[in-house]
Amino acid sequence: MKDIKYYNQRVSSYQQIIFSLTTRNIKVRYKNSVLGFAWSLLNPLVFLGIFVFIFSKAFPAIENYPLYAVTGLIFWTFFSTASNQIVVSILESAEILKSFSIPPIVFPLAALMSALVNLLFSFIPFTALMFFFGFELKWVTLMIIPVILLLAIFTFGLSLLLCSLNVYFRDVSMFWGTINPAILYFTPIAYASTLVPEHLRWLLKLNPLFHYFEIIRDVLYFGRFPSLFYLGTSTMFAVFMLTFGVFTYNKLKRGFISCI
Amino acid sequence: MSKTEEFIIKASDLHVSYLVQRNGISSLKNMLLSFGMKSLFEKKEVLKGVNLEIKRGECVGLLGRNGSGKSTLLRTLSGIIQPASGKVEVLGRVAPMLALGVGLEKELTGYENIMLCGTLMGMSKQELKDSIGDIISFSELGEDINMQIKRYSSGMRARLSFSIALARTPEILMIDEALAVGDAGFKAKCWTRIKEVRQLGCTIIYVSHFPAEIEGFCDKAIFLKNGKIVMSGKVSEVMPVYLTEYK
Repeated sequence: MKDIKYYNQRVSSYQQIIFSLTTRNIKVRYKNSVLGFAWSLLNPLVFLGIFVFIFSKAFPAIENYPLYAVTGLIFWTFFSTASNQIVVSILESAEILKSFSIPPIVFPLAALMSALVNLLFSFIPFTALMFFFGFELKWVTLMIIPVILLLAIFTFGLSLLLCSLNVYFRDVSMFWGTINPAILYFTPIAYASTLVPEHLRWLLKLNPLFHYFEIIRDVLYFGRFPSLFYLGTSTMFAVFMLTFGVFTYNKLKRGFISCI
Repeated sequence: MSKTEEFIIKASDLHVSYLVQRNGISSLKNMLLSFGMKSLFEKKEVLKGVNLEIKRGECVGLLGRNGSGKSTLLRTLSGIIQPASGKVEVLGRVAPMLALGVGLEKELTGYENIMLCGTLMGMSKQELKDSIGDIISFSELGEDINMQIKRYSSGMRARLSFSIALARTPEILMIDEALAVGDAGFKAKCWTRIKEVRQLGCTIIYVSHFPAEIEGFCDKAIFLKNGKIVMSGKVSEVMPVYLTEYK
């Protein structure tokens, strides 16, 4: 039997808390570093350099390889930074959670929001770079907005699942950081899925990220409306992952305080 | 309010338990499969059926040794920990001061921290706007409010934190040995403010290891031992029992 009543506990809304935390995350990241925001661009740029240098000769079949690589890397960077930050977000906020009555989920949400803001900032220089590589702006480019939303939902669901487990087992965040590069190469970001032999391509499709990168490439690289099939599978993965992540979080959140 | 005789906090048959990892990380797979964590975690009961009733405006001292469940009780009453079973009713807004300085972000300025911590403590935008002046003046930080707080001394940080929590008069205040920091001058100021808040009708639960503090400040006392309330009542009645127990 459980019966808990708290009246009048809080006036600040969850949105307000998430907003405050997001602002904090962004300010903290860029304060005190000379290059500030530039650091968040440097990582994908280094990868871009490596990819262009090594792979453009290896994959001559890909027309305009730099544009192909950059359109993938922008979103890979988002996925990788967002997930890594979300995974540790609850554990990092242990002291706050032990002192104030705040639902733990605001921390993963704030981590997601700051990663999204970062993605938006990074569009400014990256769009310039894409134009330099011959990108053409079309109406269909707007389709990137729903695609980003789908990717964000998927990323959040998956990371929330890992984040909840990470409270119990710190190994989860270590594991996730370690297999990140493997996921990068398991996803067609440096190469095109068409280069994978036909009989092995089903393997790629097992990777949910593959579906998102197919539609990202449709919109930004090919400049066409995203494939409805992959749009559908991406939506399915996003909904499934979000449901599974929230379900796990709800199952595990009761024990958070005693484990942090 | 005139309903002074009414309770503001009430707990009946409150059980709170913690999960304790049993064999370290023996098998993640097991946990994933069971989802109930039963195989990997052991439940340790911290509060074993606590009943209490605190009236509006009362000032209650919580006594007990380390590990007797004092902090857990405060956290449960503040809504931070969900009880395993039992009933909790808290009819007012809680300002938890379980530790000073929590939530402060050292890279941000004092001002930015007021906005951040105020929100975390549950203040609305409007409330923050209304009280930011009071917070800054109470903290006595002056111009330093626009400095990153990593350059603050620990005393300055404590002052900032205390000011955010108490610039406005809360309905319920829970203090968990949070006042052990700061210089003597600021401590005195804190006490003045806490007494003032109490005069204004705030209900206070105070945890301390110093019997003298509780004797001097509280009307009532609760003696907690191994997750159960041994005795509660007037300070003058509870204190001798507590002192003889741990002689």
